[in-house]
Amino acid sequence: MNRGENMGSHVFRLLERRGILLVVLLLVVIGIMSSLSPYFLDLYNLLGITQFGAVLVLLAIGQSLIITSGRGGIDLSIGATVSLSGVIIGMLVQHGVNVWVAALIGITAGGVLGAFNGLMIAYIGLPPLIATLGTSYLYGSLALYFTNGLPISGFPESFEFLGQGLIFGIPAQVLLVALPVFALFWFVIYRTKFGREVYLVGTNDVAARFSAIPVKKVRFSLYVLAGLLAGLGSVVMCSWLMTARADVGNGLEMQSITVAVLGGISIIGGQGHLGAVMLAVSIVTVLSSGLQIANINSMWQLAILGMILLFAVALNHFILKRGVKT
Amino acid sequence: MKKRYIPLPGYREYLTIGLLIIELVLFSILSDSFFTSTNLTRIIQNSAELAIVSIGMTMVIIMGGIDLSVGSVLGICAIVVGQMLTAGVNPVLILLAVMMIGAVVGLINGGLIAFLKMPDIIVTLATMNIWRAVVFAMLGGAWITGLPPVFGGVTSGSVLGFPVVFLLVLLLYVIFWYVMTFRSFGRHIYAIGTNEEAAKLAGIKVTRTRVMTYAALGVIVGFASILYTSRMGSVEMTVGTDLSLQSIAAVVIGGTAITGGRGSLVGTLAGVLFIAVMRNGIVILGVPSLLEKAIIGTLILLSVITDIVLQHRLKQRRMLRVEAAA
Repeated sequence: MNRGENMGSHVFRLLERRGILLVVLLLVVIGIMSSLSPYFLDLYNLLGITQFGAVLVLLAIGQSLIITSGRGGIDLSIGATVSLSGVIIGMLVQHGVNVWVAALIGITAGGVLGAFNGLMIAYIGLPPLIATLGTSYLYGSLALYFTNGLPISGFPESFEFLGQGLIFGIPAQVLLVALPVFALFWFVIYRTKFGREVYLVGTNDVAARFSAIPVKKVRFSLYVLAGLLAGLGSVVMCSWLMTARADVGNGLEMQSITVAVLGGISIIGGQGHLGAVMLAVSIVTVLSSGLQIANINSMWQLAILGMILLFAVALNHFILKRGVKT
Repeated sequence: MKKRYIPLPGYREYLTIGLLIIELVLFSILSDSFFTSTNLTRIIQNSAELAIVSIGMTMVIIMGGIDLSVGSVLGICAIVVGQMLTAGVNPVLILLAVMMIGAVVGLINGGLIAFLKMPDIIVTLATMNIWRAVVFAMLGGAWITGLPPVFGGVTSGSVLGFPVVFLLVLLLYVIFWYVMTFRSFGRHIYAIGTNEEAAKLAGIKVTRTRVMTYAALGVIVGFASILYTSRMGSVEMTVGTDLSLQSIAAVVIGGTAITGGRGSLVGTLAGVLFIAVMRNGIVILGVPSLLEKAIIGTLILLSVITDIVLQHRLKQRRMLRVEAAA
């Protein structure tokens, strides 16, 4: 980097290249979807669609930061964390706890679950893949066990607004949760020391350590953050569905990894920008809601997501010469 | 005399075998119906495909990779076997066809991972979902039932009091153990897993070996699918959903390092039996089956943590020995 450039502008330039591509893709996808259905291009429809992406925004932020921090960082348990936190919230509400208190506890629970991951990965040194694979089965299975496979209902009507309400046509989930959280993280990652440390750890963690950056602490806190975000996501999910289900989180880790990679986050770490990830979230959201409207089974959606993921990785590798394993 | 390096089973494998023995003793004490020949036969017959798939998984993991898609691939192969059985196709043809399908799928994985240099977690995560959707499409929402027990002689027959599958599995393990330990293909796998750069510089054709290993896993999965369909007599939608978790668990518990370079099939066999006995014991003792995945997930975590701690201690002891010698 030259004198006068800072980390912000350097990363911003990365955003520009990937961002332009994603904006084009987004327009293409919207175009395809509106050709499939004349009702698609309606403003209220488009705004309504964003609700499908609100939870994904939260998870994508967590996943992107973890992958950015390098050393094979990944969180396969993020979906299961959403499920388990949701189940905890549901169980608390069933036992008479105030729903908002339960929500706070649920978010904290997510943070604890994430901290467990972070402890094993950052401090004990387990490879992130196997650690989060193990915890994803552990958390998912616990969620199933606590609910006996049945959804928990009994949420008060006051809770409904968060997940299902609209403010000037914009879903509350988006306006009150997704956007503020994204704005917060934008600030933290691109305007504070911690954010710079995340990128530096991802670029070269040995150099970072010798630059007095607490590498283990940074990585640990990213897993905790991902867990907190997952907990927050489970609150939104519970409000949206008005039930707590042990399987809400299934497939969410796949979605979060797909949007992260599509958004330019490279598995070698230190690259990519959250803004591009948000564009990727929009693309995936438009795509899946369009498929939903066209009545295509969600099984196929996962398959299409898989193909998008492969396409995104190939994109990273070839066209932009990023994410190359040398 | 020149010393040949032969990766023989060592302390870690003995640890797993010891755990297996403890487990057998424990379950025998806790339940009268455990140590009967019917039950033991059942354990072996039910875990035959897990045992076989784990051979291939061991090879892939020692090489430093991973394959999450084995379950979905088993699904596809099982459906093909089912449809061919119903159509009355010659069993030998079925065997060849399904092994070829497995090989093709394996080559796709291997090609994407080795040639296009895409990260193995992401590729196999994506293909896992894609093939799962194909399974769904091929089944059309229904199950395949009432399959003619053409291969029944293999899956339920006995020779000299031992189940035929047991001998078959043992034979396969011996063959592959021989290949891994004494043939260049196997030793190249160990080399690539230990240090890919060094292997490349030593003249090992890394990319080709990588692709072949994934293809081999595919062929093995195809073979295993025959045992699966024959045993179950039907193919349902959830075919193979636990397979990748269980085989990774078996390999890891059996002492293979998830980072590659270390491990043996002896350990994997012990790991497979450990998991098979565990699953059987869970049912016999009446432990809620919903917790099964939680237990396996925890076992994976404990095994890897144990490995890391043991490695650390070994390193310390080695350093002390060097200091003492100096």
